[in-house]
This record gives sequence, structure tokens and C-alpha cells, in this order.
Amino acid sequence: MAIAGNLEVFNFIDIFQILKKDKKDGILVVENENKKFAVYFKGGDILYIREVGKVFYIYLDVDFKKVLEKDHVSIDDLYRVLVAKLPLLLAVKKGKFSFTPGFIQYSSDIEPIIPIEKIIMYLSRQLSQEEVDRKISDLNLVFEKSDNWRQLAQKAHLTDIERKILNYVDGERTVKQIMEEAKVKQLTLQRALYGFLATGIITRKKKVKRKVGFNLTRNLLRKIVERIKGI
Amino acid sequence: MGKKIQNQIKIVVAGPYAAGKTQFINTVSEIETVKTEARTTKSGEREVKSHTTVAMDFGKITIDDEHTLYLFGTPGQSRFDFMWDILGKGMLGLVVLVDSTDPSTFHEARKIINFFESRYPAPFVVGCNKQDLEGAWDPEDIRTALDLDESIKVLPLVALDKESVKNVLLALLEEIAKYI
Repeated sequence: MAIAGNLEVFNFIDIFQILKKDKKDGILVVENENKKFAVYFKGGDILYIREVGKVFYIYLDVDFKKVLEKDHVSIDDLYRVLVAKLPLLLAVKKGKFSFTPGFIQYSSDIEPIIPIEKIIMYLSRQLSQEEVDRKISDLNLVFEKSDNWRQLAQKAHLTDIERKILNYVDGERTVKQIMEEAKVKQLTLQRALYGFLATGIITRKKKVKRKVGFNLTRNLLRKIVERIKGI
Repeated sequence: MGKKIQNQIKIVVAGPYAAGKTQFINTVSEIETVKTEARTTKSGEREVKSHTTVAMDFGKITIDDEHTLYLFGTPGQSRFDFMWDILGKGMLGLVVLVDSTDPSTFHEARKIINFFESRYPAPFVVGCNKQDLEGAWDPEDIRTALDLDESIKVLPLVALDKESVKNVLLALLEEIAKYI
């Protein structure tokens, strides 16, 4: 199924979050009037970025080594090329994206060098108020650290202020309480939390108890179920 | 003998504009959905017009002589959150719909979930509508986009299809059963 959309409403952080979650391999195509990028993912991390003249060029080769050969890039050069191309890619704010899972074949000696968590946190520091409001839209939200938060936080290369904010995330404090206790600006806090969520460092607090707003008996529930089944 | 009092049971169907909530309700309602939304005339904008103090849709399903289940559809835009507040009170559960072909609706859906979770934490499920259309996102990818963990059901949905809508409602009722 598709992972496609428009960068204006679904930014790189959101895309990277999804690709990282399922450790996807494949090619993300980003295109606007001026540029066309192919971003090669392995295990949800970015391995390589290339600019192409036409999108169909991307699908001419299924062997990643062949792609590198055509671009005259050696495996040792991957880091240098990625660092050079990443700012160009991330500067694209308007345009379409689509991800093709699989397709490209990687040999086992090629591994991603820059953790996607680091890129996500870098991008989260630049989010606008409108963007952060998409995820952190309510100051009453409560988050908790995920099981492997230490490992993810290490990969994310957090700043001092982000580390400070993370210390306050405990599954009890609301966003508002963190803001007051950590004495940080709302936008700074929202950016950090947005990044933490996207990297998987934190998750929404699971509701242990939910409230059914009607005095519902098991017998009545059974009736409702039967009625709906019979529609 | 006087007429028996009808107890009203409420399920809220929330979702961004064009996510398919009116269709969802229509598909299973005994009555034609009462619509209070109108499309803006500005092309490309996803808004509803401004006679919005009663901005909601509703349909009904009679359960027995004493109980009627109402399905209330809310507008997605946060400027209508006063309606979310009104409808959230006393609800049995919540169905949040997204348009699987339009990732911009995921953000709006997330705001709706944030709102209800922090105020009326009733059982809820997510229906990923328009799964029959080209370009539909996989429900599991939508789960990630909405920052939802495995404890929340994120279900494929075609709101035009009765069985599909019933499946989502039954999944919600299963969730509700855990809390009574």
C-alpha cells in the first residue's frame, strides 16, 4: 500500500517516523518543480541520496551497488555524499513524496551510517508552531518514556535542553507541568516532544482505565451487538 | 399505559472533513443522516461554512423499546471543539475516521484524539476509510502516523460498505466491553 502525500502537510519527520517504525527498506522519491531526489532506505535509516533528472531513472536498477557505480560513488564515499546531499533534501519544503517499499537490493556489507533519530531531532528543532500543534496540540497530554528510550536517545544526539525536558517525561506530568517545571518555552518543549515521539523515545501514556459515559449493562451491550450484527 | 422513556445511547463519530463520517453514519442509520455541514465555496480549502452552532450529523439505530443508539458525527476542525466537548460528555465510545488517501487528515485526526483522550477518555477505535481507493495508506502506517500503540484498534474501512462499518462498530463495542 501507498506511503505518499504532500510535504506541506506531511513533513520529513512524519515520513521518517513511519519508515523507521517498521524498519523499511526501499526508495523515497521527493519531487517538486525544480528537483527530484531518490532517498535510499535500509532498515528505516537513510543510506544514500541521489538527484535524478527523471523519476523513472530511479527504477532502472534493483542492485544498489549498480546505482553507486553509475553515480561513480564508492562505498567508502557514502558518508561524504550523504552529508553533502542531506541539507539539499531537507531544504525541500514543498512537493510530493512517495515511498516504494523493497525494490532495491542491498548487499550485507552496506550499512547506514547516520541514525535517522539524529536527523529527526535535527529537523524537529526547526518546526513551526503550526507544525508542532499537529502532534502536541494539547497541553494536557501525558507522555511516558518507551522501553528502549536510552538507546534511541543516544542515537538522537540530544541537546542539553532536550535531555532536561526528557528527564521530566515520566508518565505523570502533563505537557503544561513540564513546561512550568523545566522552565522552557512552549515551542521549545513542543519541538522536543514532537521529535521524541517521532524517534520513539517517548510514547503517549497508555490509559489504564477508560470511562464509558453511560450506565451500560452487559445485557444491554449484548443487545447492541446483536442489533448491529443484524443490520 | 404511557409511552416508555427512550434512553439515548451515544457513540461519537469524529473525523476531519471528508474523512467519511456522514457516509459512515448513513450506511447503518435507520434514518437519513441529519446533516448540518456545508462545503465552503473557496476551492481547495477544507472548511465548513459558518452556520455551525449546530454543526454535527446524526443517525440512529433502535436497540429495543427503551434504548436508541445515536451516532453523532462531529466536524473535525478544532474551531468546533466546543461541539466535541458537548458530544464527548456521556458518550459510550468514539470512532475516529481518517481518509486513508489523504495524510493531511491524519494530523487533524490526531488533534481530535488528543482532545478526547485528555478530557473524555472513552474507549475508541480508528477507522481508516477509503481503503478501496488507489493511494490508500496501510492502517499500520496510519497507526504510526497517529502515534498510537498496539492497544488501540486501527481498522481498515470502506464507509460505503455496510459490513465494513459494522465491523468497526463491533470492534468499538468489544473495546467498550472491557470497561464495564
